[in-house]
Amino acid sequence: MIMEDQTAPKARKEGILIQELSDEVLVYDLESHKAHCLNKAAAAIWEHCDGTNSIRDIALAMGSDLNAQADEAVVWHALDQLGKASLLEQRIPQPDGKPRLSRRELMRKAGIAAMIAIPVVTSILAPKALASATSCGSPCTPASAECVAIPNCTFCPSTGPNAGRCAMF
Amino acid sequence: MDKVDRLGWAAGVSFNAYGLRIGVRVSDSSVFDRVCGFLPPGWKAVGSPVVDRLYSIRVGGEGPRPGMRRFNILYLDGGWIFRSLDLDEALEYFETNLHNWVALYAHRRVFVHAGVVGWRGKAVVIPGHSLCGKTTLVAELVRAGATYYSDEFAVLDAQGRAHPFPRPLGVREQGEVIQTRCSIEELGGVAGAKPLPVRMVVFSQYKQGASWRPRQLSEGQGVLALLNHARAVRLRPENTLAAMRQVARRSTMLRGARGEAREAAQFILDYLDNTLS
Repeated sequence: MIMEDQTAPKARKEGILIQELSDEVLVYDLESHKAHCLNKAAAAIWEHCDGTNSIRDIALAMGSDLNAQADEAVVWHALDQLGKASLLEQRIPQPDGKPRLSRRELMRKAGIAAMIAIPVVTSILAPKALASATSCGSPCTPASAECVAIPNCTFCPSTGPNAGRCAMF
Repeated sequence: MDKVDRLGWAAGVSFNAYGLRIGVRVSDSSVFDRVCGFLPPGWKAVGSPVVDRLYSIRVGGEGPRPGMRRFNILYLDGGWIFRSLDLDEALEYFETNLHNWVALYAHRRVFVHAGVVGWRGKAVVIPGHSLCGKTTLVAELVRAGATYYSDEFAVLDAQGRAHPFPRPLGVREQGEVIQTRCSIEELGGVAGAKPLPVRMVVFSQYKQGASWRPRQLSEGQGVLALLNHARAVRLRPENTLAAMRQVARRSTMLRGARGEAREAAQFILDYLDNTLS
């Protein structure tokens, strides 16, 4: 029986849209409606997560791709972010149970020169297809600038007796 | 629907806007021209009465007894969606509902909640939520000589070009919430007619006393920021991402807090003149 290698991460390929940009990769998750931006380092690591490459293989391949030194701590850091973003088939626990290094700790360890090889995954939740563009769920004041984020809001009239207040129907 | 049909309608039109067929009818023909002023820019009347969505506006006013008033009621297909004793309020709701539906379902166009101006053949897109100062910046750019494209939606095509959506600007006085409609002619500007390639995207938020020192976003960060203002990304993610990728590839994308609009407007126009000529 062939045992699946638990330390050979596999990138998720189903239910996502991928757009390659000049130096980054954009991934849209069709299930969670989250969009993720992978910088060059994160994208290189994700690309090598094919279910057969070990962490060490990925570190070597990434170093070669980016022409930079990359150790396994950097790969683990990326895997942590990719796992949280649901971009791996399954999240991979670090074997020795050591806490993963934060980006700041990685930068301190690797030095400023290696900043280019620090993987970063940035995510947003795509806005809902609301029927209203300019509205809020409470009396409309300039303080509630993010009014579209307030739920149950349909319309904020600028004229009539309800002007400046959200009319909820 | 039959029940609404039987209410009696005095005037109406079927029209096409962004590939969608829409109908609107009113119970009082004297308000029909006003209603047409709230239709999406570029609408074209069509002969067929078959539509994807039908709005019916029953105009209120004096009731049968003294001191009694009838509601202005807006129907969508077979049911009412809004009523008000104030006709302006009802018409504003009609416009909001109609424009947002078009923004969600428009064929071959991606709508982003943003202001847009044109400058020497290039479009500047200014995405932002309500009350972030988007219209103020658009108005300032127009006063500085830019061509007006929109203060509500950037209408993007698959090539990353911005199309005009020139409805009157909804201007707010400083600290006020209530908008006043202002035509582009009142501002001394002109509205654009042709699509322009987007060359700059500015994410700015008004902050009293701030000085304009924007930072440049990477392509990916810029697309993420644009997605945050896209209307139909969940309905049509593929088209939305493709259009935004085109915009990001060819644009400079800046983000920062701004103080007075004049400073940011001058920076934007100088930047376009100096770096993208």
